Amino acid sequence: MWSVTGALTVAVPPTAAACRPKPFLVSSSFPKQTKKLHLSPPPLLLTSHFSSSFKSAATSVEQQSDKKGESTKYHFLVANAKFMLDEEEHFQEQLFERLRYYGEREIEQDFWLVIEPKFLDNFPKITQRLRRPAVALVSTNGPWITFMKLRLDRVLYDSFEATSLDEALASNPTTLEFDKPKNWVAPYPKYEPGWWDTFLHKVTQESVV
Amino acid sequence: MAAEMALVKPISKFTSPKLSNPSKYLSGRRFSTVIRMSATSSPPPPATATSKSKKGTKKEIQESLLTPRFYTTDFEEMEQLFNTEINKNLNEAEFVALLQEFKTDYNQTHFVRNKEFKEAADKLQGPLRQIFVEFLERSCTAEFSGFLLYKELGRRLKKTNPVVAEIFSLMSRDEARHAGFLNKGLSDFNLALDLGFLTKARKYTFFKPKFIFYATYLSEKIGYWRYITIYRHLKANPEFQCYPIFKYFENWCQDENRHGDFFSALMKAQPQFLNDWQAKLWSRFFCLSVYVTMYLNDCQRTDFYEGIGLNTKEFDMHVIIETNRTTARIFPAVLDVENPEFKRKLDRMVVSYEKLLAIGQTDDPSFVKTLKRIPLVASLASEILAAYLMPPVESGSVDFAEFEPNLVY
Repeated sequence: MWSVTGALTVAVPPTAAACRPKPFLVSSSFPKQTKKLHLSPPPLLLTSHFSSSFKSAATSVEQQSDKKGESTKYHFLVANAKFMLDEEEHFQEQLFERLRYYGEREIEQDFWLVIEPKFLDNFPKITQRLRRPAVALVSTNGPWITFMKLRLDRVLYDSFEATSLDEALASNPTTLEFDKPKNWVAPYPKYEPGWWDTFLHKVTQESVV
Repeated sequence: MAAEMALVKPISKFTSPKLSNPSKYLSGRRFSTVIRMSATSSPPPPATATSKSKKGTKKEIQESLLTPRFYTTDFEEMEQLFNTEINKNLNEAEFVALLQEFKTDYNQTHFVRNKEFKEAADKLQGPLRQIFVEFLERSCTAEFSGFLLYKELGRRLKKTNPVVAEIFSLMSRDEARHAGFLNKGLSDFNLALDLGFLTKARKYTFFKPKFIFYATYLSEKIGYWRYITIYRHLKANPEFQCYPIFKYFENWCQDENRHGDFFSALMKAQPQFLNDWQAKLWSRFFCLSVYVTMYLNDCQRTDFYEGIGLNTKEFDMHVIIETNRTTARIFPAVLDVENPEFKRKLDRMVVSYEKLLAIGQTDDPSFVKTLKRIPLVASLASEILAAYLMPPVESGSVDFAEFEPNLVY
């Protein structure tokens, strides 16, 4: 995991420019196939209402493939960028841990960070309580977002449907710069700004054309 | 599970006098006599027999106020609390989400040793060797104590709440892994904790479920902050990387953090443990117990922290402040640990505690020792009480907190 972070900080100078999504970066590994993850068969002893929640979780994962025209449900948590990317350092560790795990199991990524997401326009009740710039954690895995809500706590939750990833994860260009903490007493340096680039959605070639 | 809650014991006995069946679990004997190795709290003796022989010399358990403890609880009350028939308001979504997260098992293949361990152990000589052994022992004991408690809860809750039960079982899987890994580390020093014996011989401290929640939540979260701080410090200062186990801490402590989240969900499922003035008093009490225990413990072991390049008190204050910030996401009140007065109080406690320990090591007759201890115990107690009474910080999960409507995210 540290090698990932390390490589990132070398490749990406910690400037504000690095925080923007890179529209021309083409990802070759974009949705091809979806593997069912972590939901090995539901536990035998689940009571009836628990098992129904489980089924819906499994369904939301299965829906992940980018079939044209079919809409997928995206769950998100949102808060101001400072909280999400600068203050909650364990959040960085969790995302890299999950990415490492997906890599080990060859699972297609189903979670992203979105800086100033366009979908927020549809959630006035959220935006009126939100400091900007805002950052959202978006995933097709509903239960995981529920877990992340439990962890982060100071975030707002909602969900929406979208027909493509590009649509779901569209964002407004924003510059992120965080003030250095006034009183940094930890016996280690802060995580380098820009770590979040790894988790931003890279727009697919098709939609760039 | 970390060890930082030992101080709680005598006081909890005081507050729940009726509940005194600590040895209910696993037919534990109340008064243990010998054990292969001790998990001592007093400063490590300069050189003992433990590091010499393969089998180790059997020593008396040197339990003291700050020794890592084993915990047991009222399993019937636990069954009631999480019975979905009785308690219809349980937030199943959170538990289902947690179950998925634990089943994911991020660290299934993480705890694999390599030859670096033995080489590093052989290089550790002199006083530092003994300090490392003690660190491994204490950590192993603490993890193992988590294993026992979670395993039993997993077994007992199977019928009334299979989801919660399975999460407990998966957490005991993590704890067993951690304990086993630490114990293998000890084998490089030609030592081993006899965990089977430990299970039977150690005293069990009884906590009502409510207190198990507060205590284990804090224990897991402070464990996370300790491990990640050591990891990140050594990452930045590799010249102090004298033992390979620290390289495993980054992934390892994510387990601790998740365990804490689970207790957070358990408490949210039982809002009566979070939403009244008593809950606030207990929250502050447990925070204080855990922080003070860690601070006093670590200040007796500065050699260990300095050995890996840390300033013990600064390390502890960082861990306390971060743990307190994390805890403020769930406990209805926390301590104002960022007030410099809090640290000054901790430092004065260390002074009294060190004098107390010093009296124990003199050759004075026991009544003289007792007399000498009285003023020190009094000053320690009054300092603890004063810290407890410092104006607290209102806190809590946004799902409950009164301040939530005014919160800007």
